[in-house]
Amino acid sequence: MSARSDATLRGIPTKPYDLLREGLIVFAVVAVLIVVLAAAFGSPDYPTLTAQEVAEQEPVAYLKLVSGYLSGGSDLQTYGPPYTANPANAQRIFGFAPANILGVALPIDARKDFVLEPLARVARLRPSVQDALHQFESASDSDRAAWVAHYTVALDKAQVVGPSVELAAGDYGPVPALMDGMLDLARAGLMEAALNASANQPYALDNTKALLFMQGDVESQVAGTLDMQGGQWGISHETGNYPGAWWLWPYTFLYQVPAIGNSPNADALAGAIIGLVFLLLLTLPFIPGLNRLPRGLKVYRVIWRDWYRNHPRP
Amino acid sequence: MNLTRWAQAFIAKNLSMEDALPTRMPVYVNSIVYLFGAMTLAALGMLIATGVIITIFGPGWWHVSRAGHFVNSLHFWSAQVFFAGLLLHLIGKFFMAAWRGGRWPAWVVGAIAFGLSVFSGLTGFILQTNWDSQWISGQAKDAMNALGVGRIVNTMNSGQMLTLHVVVLPLFVVCLVAVHVLIVRHEGPVRPIGAEEHDA
Repeated sequence: MSARSDATLRGIPTKPYDLLREGLIVFAVVAVLIVVLAAAFGSPDYPTLTAQEVAEQEPVAYLKLVSGYLSGGSDLQTYGPPYTANPANAQRIFGFAPANILGVALPIDARKDFVLEPLARVARLRPSVQDALHQFESASDSDRAAWVAHYTVALDKAQVVGPSVELAAGDYGPVPALMDGMLDLARAGLMEAALNASANQPYALDNTKALLFMQGDVESQVAGTLDMQGGQWGISHETGNYPGAWWLWPYTFLYQVPAIGNSPNADALAGAIIGLVFLLLLTLPFIPGLNRLPRGLKVYRVIWRDWYRNHPRP
Repeated sequence: MNLTRWAQAFIAKNLSMEDALPTRMPVYVNSIVYLFGAMTLAALGMLIATGVIITIFGPGWWHVSRAGHFVNSLHFWSAQVFFAGLLLHLIGKFFMAAWRGGRWPAWVVGAIAFGLSVFSGLTGFILQTNWDSQWISGQAKDAMNALGVGRIVNTMNSGQMLTLHVVVLPLFVVCLVAVHVLIVRHEGPVRPIGAEEHDA
């Protein structure tokens, strides 16, 4: 025995023990339990939400998503750091915005990255899109804004006829041709590939743009139907009846508190509180009062009940 | 200074063979609570074994193969049992005030391993490459961005999440767990409250 463990056990009766035997038994029981659970329940694999799926089934919703990026009015385009230069929109904790320290470290220009650059690829294949893109890019800012605004308003009354989305007559400039290009790109299943295209093709290990592109009303609606919104305990459970990251319940609970969940700084507040809780856990042995809490709770009397039967507490 | 000789002396002083592989235990080690740590270690072993198989065949394998889906299910349930064991172990050690008698290093190292395990679990959920990971990565990125680390830990960068989940985080977790277990074995099981010799 080392001096330390010897001191721990001095004067304490011991009993025979076999660490390896006990360890192997526990491992075998746990392994069997896991195999039984896996065989009986499997694991969830709900398919991803793709641009193709949305463009095929909800073309108007898809076009609204795209027109939002083209207009510059999407939430992402005023998100703040690390994506855009809107430091006022960074979440704050008592006025301090941690995101502003590194600033725009992952710049995303949604109009260019999510619409114009993918369209430039479509334009190589379809001259009508090339002409429309040229007209759009050479127009004045006010013309572009007016075309997109008119188009976005008209989408509310759009009719889906077969594969087409038909709008009332209006001054949309080249926007309908651009949107047709975006619709076709998605329906061909190439939208995510266009967004993920990296500088060193064919490798594309970063899905940031494709995942950000799909964030919006449709994705939120899907999450809502699957009870996965923040107000529905969010990321702490999986689809279906599978347990998810239930150990995050203390974290997701914070989002159920109206003062936090409804705050524009919800993520920063929840993160800061959980950080503090973790710090408390880490330093628990040194916090007066808290480090003696187990003595008051007396659960230890149950854990060591056999010991106390023969060694009553003074 | 001979480092090897120093290491030999350090190990001989702090961890005898009986500490590392005990054949006797104090009689107060007689509760199911003592099994939760072993349960966690066993589930960690299953997590690593199933994770290695998934790593060999690639992260997309389980979507297209029944065998792959089953191994993924083993990995999924290993994570569930791991966190169940870990939380029970943590709660049990809290009620035992297991940091008494200068045992705080084991508590602190264990708590750090717990925090890293939670983060490792998050990267695992993000790597399922299905709807759950699509949604969770989007939600988690807001948390990371709000705390100012969105560039350093980009939950939408699948390549980064993959390397973190299969290399960096398991390496740190396993090392911390090893240190935690060695400290516990060096110190011996904490005495029952009221039976302390040197406790504060």
